[in-house]
Amino acid sequence: MRKVTETDLPGVGIRFDLQTDAGRCVGVVAHQTGRRDLVIYDERDVDRACESVQLTEDEGHTLGELLGGSPVLEHLDDAMHRLEDLVISWVTIAAGSSLAGLTLAEASLRARTGAGVVALVSEAGSIPIPGRDDRLEAGNTAVVVGVPSAVKAATRLLRRPAG
Amino acid sequence: MHTGGDLLVIEFGALVLALAIVARLARRIGLPALPLYLLAGLALGEGGLVELDASEDFIEVGAEIGVILMLLMLGLEFSTRELIQNVRRSTLAGVVDVVLNFPPGFVAGLILGFDPIVAVLLGGVTYISSSGIIAKLVADLDRIGNHETSVILSVLVIEDLAMVLYLPIVSGVLFGGSVLSTTLTVAISLGAVLGVLGAAYLLGDRLSAIALSQSSEALLLTLLGGTLLVAGLAGRLNISTAVGAFVVGVALSGDIVSHARGLLLPLRNLFAAVFFVFFGLQVDLNLIPGVAVAALAIAAVTIATKITSGWIAAARAGIGKPGRLRAGAALIAHGEFSIVIAELGIARESDLGALAAVYVIILTLAGALLYQFSDSITLPTRSPRHVRA
Repeated sequence: MRKVTETDLPGVGIRFDLQTDAGRCVGVVAHQTGRRDLVIYDERDVDRACESVQLTEDEGHTLGELLGGSPVLEHLDDAMHRLEDLVISWVTIAAGSSLAGLTLAEASLRARTGAGVVALVSEAGSIPIPGRDDRLEAGNTAVVVGVPSAVKAATRLLRRPAG
Repeated sequence: MHTGGDLLVIEFGALVLALAIVARLARRIGLPALPLYLLAGLALGEGGLVELDASEDFIEVGAEIGVILMLLMLGLEFSTRELIQNVRRSTLAGVVDVVLNFPPGFVAGLILGFDPIVAVLLGGVTYISSSGIIAKLVADLDRIGNHETSVILSVLVIEDLAMVLYLPIVSGVLFGGSVLSTTLTVAISLGAVLGVLGAAYLLGDRLSAIALSQSSEALLLTLLGGTLLVAGLAGRLNISTAVGAFVVGVALSGDIVSHARGLLLPLRNLFAAVFFVFFGLQVDLNLIPGVAVAALAIAAVTIATKITSGWIAAARAGIGKPGRLRAGAALIAHGEFSIVIAELGIARESDLGALAAVYVIILTLAGALLYQFSDSITLPTRSPRHVRA
């Protein structure tokens, strides 16, 4: 995952910045109230937000999905997903993951991390409640549910080779 | 008795209506309403256009409640953990801010021949920027995402925290007796403040859970009653009601905060306006010509020192030059705390009230304008002349 810079905004929330390879800077301001601002920084004055779009929590989620998964969720566990202490995360299965290609039974993700896979999404279609024999194919997306620490652990396993 | 009551309601109604017009006007021209409320107070006070007699006592109580609600709402913005983290991270910016912005007022006070303690008050007036006005400017101008905004907010938090120590000390000195009893009062009040903050750190969650209620009516009464009680006790101990209310706000955390904000905001808006009017009312208009030059001079100096301290803080955070200028310009606006501080000394030195009123009006207007147009001001620094070879 790319490096995201995190800055506290006392009394407001947290700002996340991402520097693109093309030299632009984009950011998200996560307000304590749940509001999200999508911020595009000026090319010449990189500290100035030349565009700032207010999003509700729901709109933010939708935009995150459109952009492909939402890796930032990992950082927001407390602020964003305290709802009943459950986190849902969309995780793209990395080709290098030690679990890629295994069936759910073989991967035994729930036993290892405490988080369960409630759906598998691929280009061919999605499997809402996958069974023991459905496979975690690289490039597909697993929808993982659990308490924040469990989801974090599962996300790590699905994204990176076991260390 | 009966007619007196009617008269009070009529006067207060007319006053609030006048403020409504002022608030609309401020919105129309895109400026903070606070300086206009002060102006309204000046116009209605001693030597002004109309004098309010029947409602003055009521306005005084309203003003007291206004300070308490302003500080409670400010405290609600922060949790103790956030405050501690912030102090650790931005200590240097905070120190630069004090070193540059306290002396102008203090020295000016001495030059004007004020008592040393009144000069200390004037130092406080020039030191403290307005978190309320600045936070609103940042949001209104859509600059929350700007990189320098985190620097601005950090400096403001440190200033607000500095007030938690400053206000009890000056109140103790102002209202204490002998050196020994004053030292004792100050020590006790600082101990009490730190003790309460410590308790808030440890017990804040539990307190908040107790205060939380499903009924918004019960919650409002609990918050208002509890805060007034704590603030009043703090005032009695010379810790300052403002600090008492701020500490209550900081202590509350979690679910209660967003409910509390929603419930208290309309009350805060009403009573804060009353507070600024009341301050204006106390100022004798005849004193203003005598302090106008001094106020302008102090304002000019602090505009420069605030820009410098913001510039330095932003530079340390790795912000580019245009952003540093924005940070500096943002910190110029002074407001609620400057007035709260001046209020303490108005009985001792009536010139302080007039001076602070004029000063705050100038700095708030200048700050709002400079911050708004700071991006156009940066253009010349990009011209070749200023580029380092």
